[in-house]
Amino acid sequence: MFIWVLFLISALLILGTSVAALVTKNIMHSCIYLLGTLLGISGLYITLNADFVAVTQIMVYVGGIVILMLFAVMLTGGKEFVSKGQQLLGLAPLMGSKSTYVFGLFGALVFGGIFAKLISYIVKLPIDSTEQKIQSTVESIGKLLITDHVLAFELSSVLLLGALVGSAIIARPRRES
Amino acid sequence: MIPYIAYLGISAFLFIIGLAIMMSRKNIVAILLGIEFILNAAALNFVTYSKYSAHNLDGHIFALFIIVIAAAEAAVGLAIVIRYFQLKETVHIDEASELRN
Repeated sequence: MFIWVLFLISALLILGTSVAALVTKNIMHSCIYLLGTLLGISGLYITLNADFVAVTQIMVYVGGIVILMLFAVMLTGGKEFVSKGQQLLGLAPLMGSKSTYVFGLFGALVFGGIFAKLISYIVKLPIDSTEQKIQSTVESIGKLLITDHVLAFELSSVLLLGALVGSAIIARPRRES
Repeated sequence: MIPYIAYLGISAFLFIIGLAIMMSRKNIVAILLGIEFILNAAALNFVTYSKYSAHNLDGHIFALFIIVIAAAEAAVGLAIVIRYFQLKETVHIDEASELRN
């Protein structure tokens, strides 16, 4: 019961805030709506018995990436370059004219039909509907990270160090010589 | 038990929203924001199949690595955007055409 309530709240939060992030004109508001979407995805992880991933999602995304994007928006002015006369329903900063949307809709229907036909063989996976007990996954994930996936774990540390040093070097103001 | 097709539907919806943001925005920071939506959709799929089909924790490990790579990508991408803004005084995507020709 609790799982259902949490799932419904998270799903509604995701659907609402992601559409709002698409149609809003202010890019700062778009970042804040991204925050709501990430919190909703974290709730979905909790309903999937993935508590460690949920907490990591909140810590890394909400505490790191969204703050970083907000700072980038503030440092670069945050203009959204809305062009007049090319908006759909006066809401979204979308591109193209009406014929673009009509052709895009038909093309999406055709490709969606083909893709659904292709994927319908994959979706018929054996699903067992036994309710599993909710238990913590932190210990198992820790064991997996230092046994089966230790190479990827170490490589990700190298990747993070490279990203840190690289971004510091790229964003450094250079002296004009 | 929640049907797993609900998770897949939400994931597909997030992917489409991210793609639409990437296609419709002209600000480079907004395009990076669309990439975050798409990466989250992929991670949600991994965790869903990890619970409903595989019954092990490999999907969780993949989701964690996706989060790590998203953090690194956002840091480097935003550093490039800020450096570009220092050089050109704009973040319009069509102005970034130095590599053409």
